Amino acid sequence: MSSDGENDEFLYEDEYDDAFDQDDEAEEIDSMSEPDVYDALSPAIEEAPQKKPYDVSWKVKTLQEITDMQNKEITKIQSVLEVPASSAAILLRHYVWNSEKLQEQFWNDPAAALEEAGLSPPSSPTTRTSALPPSPNKRSTRSLRAGPSTFLSKRTKSSASIGPFECPICCMEFDGPSVDVNTYSMGCEHRFCKDCWREYLVGKVKGEGESAKIQCMESGCGRIVREEVIDELVEKDVSKRYHNLLNAAFVADSSTLRWCPHPNCEYIIQCTQAPARMLNQIVPTVECKCGHDLCFGCGYAASHRPVLCKIVRLWEKKCADDSETANWLQANTKECTKCQSTIEKNGGCNHMTCKKCKWEFCWVCMGPWSEHGTAWYQCNRFDEKSGIDARDTQAKSRASLERYLHYFNRWANHEHSAKLDAEFYQKTEKKMEQMQNSGNLSWIEVQFAKQAVDVVIKARITLKWSYCMAFYLKRNNMTELFEDNQRDLERAVENLGYSLEQNISDTESIAKLRQDITNQAAYVQKRHDILMDDTLKGYLERRWEFSVDV
Amino acid sequence: MSDARLRRVQKEIRDCAKDKTSNISIDMIDESPFHLVGAFPGPPDTPYEGGYYEVDIVIPDAYPFQPVKMKFITKVYHPNVSSASGAICLDILKDAWSPVLTLKSTLISLQSLLCEPVPNDPQDAEVAKHYLADRNSFNATAKHWAQAYAQAPAHKKKNEPGKVATDAELAGLSEENVIGFTDMGFSREQVITILKKLNYRGNNVNPQSYNAVLEELLK
Repeated sequence: MSSDGENDEFLYEDEYDDAFDQDDEAEEIDSMSEPDVYDALSPAIEEAPQKKPYDVSWKVKTLQEITDMQNKEITKIQSVLEVPASSAAILLRHYVWNSEKLQEQFWNDPAAALEEAGLSPPSSPTTRTSALPPSPNKRSTRSLRAGPSTFLSKRTKSSASIGPFECPICCMEFDGPSVDVNTYSMGCEHRFCKDCWREYLVGKVKGEGESAKIQCMESGCGRIVREEVIDELVEKDVSKRYHNLLNAAFVADSSTLRWCPHPNCEYIIQCTQAPARMLNQIVPTVECKCGHDLCFGCGYAASHRPVLCKIVRLWEKKCADDSETANWLQANTKECTKCQSTIEKNGGCNHMTCKKCKWEFCWVCMGPWSEHGTAWYQCNRFDEKSGIDARDTQAKSRASLERYLHYFNRWANHEHSAKLDAEFYQKTEKKMEQMQNSGNLSWIEVQFAKQAVDVVIKARITLKWSYCMAFYLKRNNMTELFEDNQRDLERAVENLGYSLEQNISDTESIAKLRQDITNQAAYVQKRHDILMDDTLKGYLERRWEFSVDV
Repeated sequence: MSDARLRRVQKEIRDCAKDKTSNISIDMIDESPFHLVGAFPGPPDTPYEGGYYEVDIVIPDAYPFQPVKMKFITKVYHPNVSSASGAICLDILKDAWSPVLTLKSTLISLQSLLCEPVPNDPQDAEVAKHYLADRNSFNATAKHWAQAYAQAPAHKKKNEPGKVATDAELAGLSEENVIGFTDMGFSREQVITILKKLNYRGNNVNPQSYNAVLEELLK
């Protein structure tokens, strides 16, 4: 009997592995054939050990590496299009780092591409209709000192002819050489004093958190302010923040990069195997160098396997917003038919009088009380269609509320238990240290408890999410199999939890207890893996049917 | 920079007072130069012609790097102006603001907003619906509002001299529609309230709303 069982299992596992290997190869080819800037920028991603078909490969990047990625691309575009580095950067940011599209557009019509990206040559009319053109006297003063200067440092000839200048923003007047020193204009030749520029840029960077899209101060002028201009005009801390924002925008614009969401962690995860369209099939859980798990698909700051990102989002929203309050209201209250106040009937007869508008109506049929005639305290309109409809919706709403609470309580309970388990372990740890010190057991021998607690906590988190999953699953045979797996894991977890809470201070029985717990932990781990494997494979096989669109 | 803000606002007020051609005025309410009242005449060839529109102006601390806060004091019947609060929906008062824009240029923009409503980006959805559904009826209501609230003289072309706008016209409804329901025996006040609430613009505009009105009236 037992050897048969082993054989079966062995065969089963063999098939399993084969299936995985094939899938692995298929996926590798798939991901290689996908052209992507971010792919090209980095060497091939290392394969993680023991890769399952639903697992993804990823790399953890530092901020410096992200900066290097951008610089590499900028240098490339700079030499291909023969533009200054800062122009290349502005162009790339405008085309969301899609260098192929940028080159195509640029060679098609260089002037249009430059203008679209906010690098329009001087004197192009970009003033929008809603914004009024500057008053004529302002324009004339400005045109007096129009110079083809692009960078602060490069300004030369034009400054010689500069006469008195009044900054159109702060109305400060400048004369002679101070115009050149204290004012600045970009290639669009809209001149303002440097104090105003500084004020404006600091407001944009620190106040509004803008970076790549800071435009000229002139109304309707779409010219983008270059990096080096900002660096020269503002203080060090603002310029640092500006560059951080540029990096943040680069990561945010990329579908293959994501910040680690954990507090104080500055790593960036790179993953090319979890594009948005795949998220209805995979749950791309990755681990950052800071030691925490996260979901690459949605940025959830922990593993939410085996549940799909979209379902998690729905569930979180359902738990957080007041939709359940609304459900409760629907199940327990009715509205006054006249003033629409919400009324909870907490006893008494069906003759309702609205406290607010004094309207009298029947709680059962919602009709005006006056029409009840002599049939006081007995609604003779009970079976009218409106009455039946009202009762049906109320019953349905009550049932759905109960169903939600069933899943929610179990979901919340496992989360709570996982926390308690962790606390319990910390207490036990002290005891184990004592046992260790008394000399009967070695360090390695008391590690079993920690390992067991780790397994329990991991299993509880999976169980927690399995209730979220079950809430959205349609009732069918597959769902029943899922719930069987869920039940088996839950039972195993509860048993192990119980064993862990046994008194382990007794050195005599510790050997037996240890064996017991180690066995049980192995069983929990196995049940956990089965549930996880089956569920995640189920997505790839499109086995699960949800009550919502995924 | 706060003295720059003061310098700029004072200069703007001065310049506006000097400029007699634009017909735009900016005045202080009290001692503070940062809380002002702007005013301009309703643009010609619009329902607002002849009216005089006052705008509440608050200069924020970060002016001119932050847009001024403006809202109509005078009630205006316009898709981009709240008929209740006077709040204005205009891009340059929000993200399209530029530090080179002035109080005067912004007020001129408001004036041109009265010429060209943007009903697809409304501040007052009910008014915008009216504007899109029945332009003539909208123009009539806007004109009545101009007469009732912005001191626009009543025009002889369409109304008899001295005729005051009726309650139906002020609510943006046609007399014909109101009478249609009052003839059934409902009170005039009730009919106007409900037609306004349901945004009723006649049976041909939305056939379903006729029944909806009756249902409301019978409640």
